[in-house]
Amino acid sequence: MEKLVVVDGNHAAALGALLCRPDVVAAYPITPQTPLVEHFTQYIADGALDCAILEPESEHSAMSILEGASLAGGRTFTATSSQGLALMYEPYFRASTMRLPIVMDIVNREMISPQTIWGGPQDSLSVRDAGWIQIYVEDNQEILDMNVQAFKIAEHKDVLLPVNICFDGFYLSHMTEGVLVCEQEKVDAFLPKYLPEHVKLDPERPMAVDPLTPGAYLQYYRELHMQAMDNAKKVIQQVNDEFAQLFGRSYGGLVDTYRLEDADYVLITMGSLTGTARVAVDYARQKGVKVGILKLRSIRPFPKELVQQYLKGRKAAGVVDRNVSFGWHCGITYLEVLSAMGGALNMPLLPFIGGLGGEDLTIELLAKAIDYIVAAGKGRYNTPQQAIWLVKGEEE
Amino acid sequence: MRAAEMKTIKMSATDKMLAYADMVAPGITSCEGCNVELTMRTVLKVLGPNTIVAIPPGCMGGVQTVGWEDRMGTKIPVFFPLLDNTASMLGGIKKYYEHIGRHVNVVAFAGDGASVDAGFQALSGAAERGDNIIYICYDNEGYMNTGFQRSGSTTKGSWTSTTPVGAAHKGKKTHRKDAPMIMAMHDIPYVATASPAYIPDLIAKVEKAMQVRDGMAYIHVYNACSTGWGYQPCKSIDICRRSVQTRFYPLYEVEHGKFKLSLDIKQPKPVKDFLNQLKKFRHLSESDILEIQELVDRRWNRLLGLCQI
Repeated sequence: MEKLVVVDGNHAAALGALLCRPDVVAAYPITPQTPLVEHFTQYIADGALDCAILEPESEHSAMSILEGASLAGGRTFTATSSQGLALMYEPYFRASTMRLPIVMDIVNREMISPQTIWGGPQDSLSVRDAGWIQIYVEDNQEILDMNVQAFKIAEHKDVLLPVNICFDGFYLSHMTEGVLVCEQEKVDAFLPKYLPEHVKLDPERPMAVDPLTPGAYLQYYRELHMQAMDNAKKVIQQVNDEFAQLFGRSYGGLVDTYRLEDADYVLITMGSLTGTARVAVDYARQKGVKVGILKLRSIRPFPKELVQQYLKGRKAAGVVDRNVSFGWHCGITYLEVLSAMGGALNMPLLPFIGGLGGEDLTIELLAKAIDYIVAAGKGRYNTPQQAIWLVKGEEE
Repeated sequence: MRAAEMKTIKMSATDKMLAYADMVAPGITSCEGCNVELTMRTVLKVLGPNTIVAIPPGCMGGVQTVGWEDRMGTKIPVFFPLLDNTASMLGGIKKYYEHIGRHVNVVAFAGDGASVDAGFQALSGAAERGDNIIYICYDNEGYMNTGFQRSGSTTKGSWTSTTPVGAAHKGKKTHRKDAPMIMAMHDIPYVATASPAYIPDLIAKVEKAMQVRDGMAYIHVYNACSTGWGYQPCKSIDICRRSVQTRFYPLYEVEHGKFKLSLDIKQPKPVKDFLNQLKKFRHLSESDILEIQELVDRRWNRLLGLCQI
């Protein structure tokens, strides 16, 4: 039977990673990720797992150590946030292009300036084109479960790409919830040992990793990498379904939905704000507004086909972003949805921005977003050129 | 035959170099008279086939030691780390092999830019963390592969392409950092300096580094660069020898904190005899040379002091 524990998001992530028996872990502390590392290293100190821990002097080295360990053939795990992710950008890009199935949790935090330590996925979304799979989760159970699924996705022979499990700093990392911990034997059956064949540094089988590579080869590698991303769409869904069968919990795969089936209006969300959006949708439904949620889970690969499918025939939709795209005056996931729809977009699609720097996106603010979407669907509000800001004190 | 097996047999350095297999492919594209290639082939012969080697961007990466297209430049596992993460990547490799209980020599062959500048944070971190890697730095006083730019290891007064000589400014304005001494101050198990002009000494030091199991072994090799420094390729070894004979580059080793001169230069030649061989110092005034001589004397005396502890 699964054990029920009451833990915060960081602790749930550590438990999830521990279940996967990584060989080598290296992580540098940064708020709000620090407790994740502390929990993990405490478990190792207590003898819960024979895992090699390295204490790097920076995030740049944390990722570099994992690349070395992964090239040697090990299963590896780390976690970071914000400035730490920015510092490791150089080896971050390289982990995916060397096709190393590293798993790294990103405890989402704003990027400075101004000085901040609070939540927002600006950090990971800003590096969404560095070739990693990025999955965004909503609550602590999903954190634990996705850490287990992440290795299975990353190490799949049709994928072989590193995976980020991204969750909101403080809202999840420091929020306590009841979480069921998967049984170790079941995880062991679900997740076989990692046995790399595509790239390995081993004197028994000498290999040159990354000789000087002319453009024609590089183009070929990029093509394969993009193909692996396409394959990942299928694999993420398969792994979700297999996990659901074994552990009884499904997250939908690339996207999830809430009260969407008969909805005229769609609120598109990502991460922990989805929980608040569910309540806002329930209230709107009580008033007779047929609104539902499309929750984006995988941002890379982006579920273009599913977004098109779920938005088809609706009257209006809106995307809530807790991040910005400078130069577009809207959020990043809005742009992603807009691109996915392309010529198929035949309804108003509204961009919302709010909840930056850990600001609370309240039920009232999301209700306001729903009002805008409904008004746009009824032709009373045109799709704006700039994002609509969801700001506390401006609910009406 | 493996280097480790050879150890039990009394052999001269020449015999060893004849007996050990070359781990580098023939035909890499180093400059004429490159003593870094000689150094690399020598140390990899000693290290032998049970070795994984990292060659970060720099001269030895540029001459295709890692490989080109789908061809390898070595006969052992080899890879390009980033310029600034060699020690960290090696630390990860070594940790995994320790984790599965297998001994492998995990080795860096890195230039001074990748070691004492951009890669220094990772190097210092790995040293402090006790990663059991062998880190060999080939120091040719700058970014010679990309056209002779200055590094933190460039001697004061040097002409480089980023510290040019003109009417207003005359070469690099500050002294070179004493990288092997900084590494020694990390109190790692083994630190040594070496020179391609003293190959038996270099071989012995690599053999010692291979015995270390309780932390990092660091070897700093001072390699003259004919294209970057300006001298005839045939004089490579002579220049390297002069750097040692003038006490400019002392040969010593530090085993678990114990400093020992490998070669005592009792009657040094003036540093001028080294500097005046090189085009990059041609513009130096007498007072400029005197200042370098003073630094050489100071560092030598400091080293002697440490040897007496």
